[in-house]
Amino acid sequence: MAEQGDAWEQLLMAANAGDARAYGRFLQAVTPVLRGIVRAKGGSLGEAGCEDVLQEVLFAIHLKRHTWEAGSPVRPWLYSITRYKVVDAFRARGRKIDMPIDDFADVLAADAGPDPTDAADMEKMIGMLDGRSATIIRKIGLEGISVAETGAALTMSEGAVRVALHRALKTLAILRERHVK
Amino acid sequence: MKTDDLIRAISADTLRQPQLRTMLVLGMLPSLVIAAVALWLVLGFRADITTALVTPISLARIILTGVLGIFATRLALLMARPEGGQLARLWPLAAVAAAAFGLVLWAYVATPAEARQMAVVGKTMTKCLVTIPLLSVLPVATLLYVLRQGATTAPMRAGFVAGLAGSGFAAAIYALHCTEDSPLFYVTWYGLAIMGVTLVSTFIGARSLRW
Repeated sequence: MAEQGDAWEQLLMAANAGDARAYGRFLQAVTPVLRGIVRAKGGSLGEAGCEDVLQEVLFAIHLKRHTWEAGSPVRPWLYSITRYKVVDAFRARGRKIDMPIDDFADVLAADAGPDPTDAADMEKMIGMLDGRSATIIRKIGLEGISVAETGAALTMSEGAVRVALHRALKTLAILRERHVK
Repeated sequence: MKTDDLIRAISADTLRQPQLRTMLVLGMLPSLVIAAVALWLVLGFRADITTALVTPISLARIILTGVLGIFATRLALLMARPEGGQLARLWPLAAVAAAAFGLVLWAYVATPAEARQMAVVGKTMTKCLVTIPLLSVLPVATLLYVLRQGATTAPMRAGFVAGLAGSGFAAAIYALHCTEDSPLFYVTWYGLAIMGVTLVSTFIGARSLRW
């Protein structure tokens, strides 16, 4: 467990320095753990509901990743964001939960399952973006196309795609919260 | 959209975000310089400033408020991190308050009984109570802005330390103008101004630092 923790620090450090692959691996590594936490607390929301909350947590981690200080442990940082956003998400859905952070260590990681639940909210939100932003999110996310290729397909520079992607993700995060509330 | 797809989209966004520490330094230095220059232009520094800066009892208020500003700014930077609310220890602030209280006790004993009331009331308390909050506006706003870019999980406490930090520095700057050197005066009125600003900042924090 401790070994895995060390790896998280290295991955996030590389990610914050601009390494997209390290960032992807970091998110892949923490997601099952966070899913376990969300499900342990929010069983009543159902699997799809939990997946929505999980995605909100991932958005928060993404938009606040610069608040992690290199050299400090990742877990307290990660769990604090998770708790804050999960409590927030439950409040927005009219529920109250009590989440002592000390419990997080006992939660088992959860896989999405053989047929990963499509988070229902997300598709709707992407539909509310402007056309180009939606295309960028779909190409890079769903089709797994690189930033460079997306740029070529849309006749945009790589830098412009990056900026557009960043804005689109920020907008999505805001849209989701507003939508639930 | 599946979570794996979302992760793919998110991890492609590697646009670098500015560090909070950098943002804080880049924001606070100009804020404090502007506050000091504004004070100098409008009210001017005290005429005997070079003597005052080497007179311990006069210098004590700059040190006291300056140290308050530094401690509280460090706390604000810590609280800007999500786990900071759990790591933050407020005792350094209490230590500053205790030092101020000690100074008041000393001055109370050292001041002759008939002069005490005059020493407390002074001649410039209105100017003090107006100027310190005005000088606080920019530094406190800067700190709240940095906290907003951060991810505090304790919005109210973050607003509180931001208020103390900004008004502490503002009081230190005001001390360059103010000639009331008795701790009976400055602990009372600087303290009141700082508390007022901090109260407002605490409320703003509680409302605006959620994310």
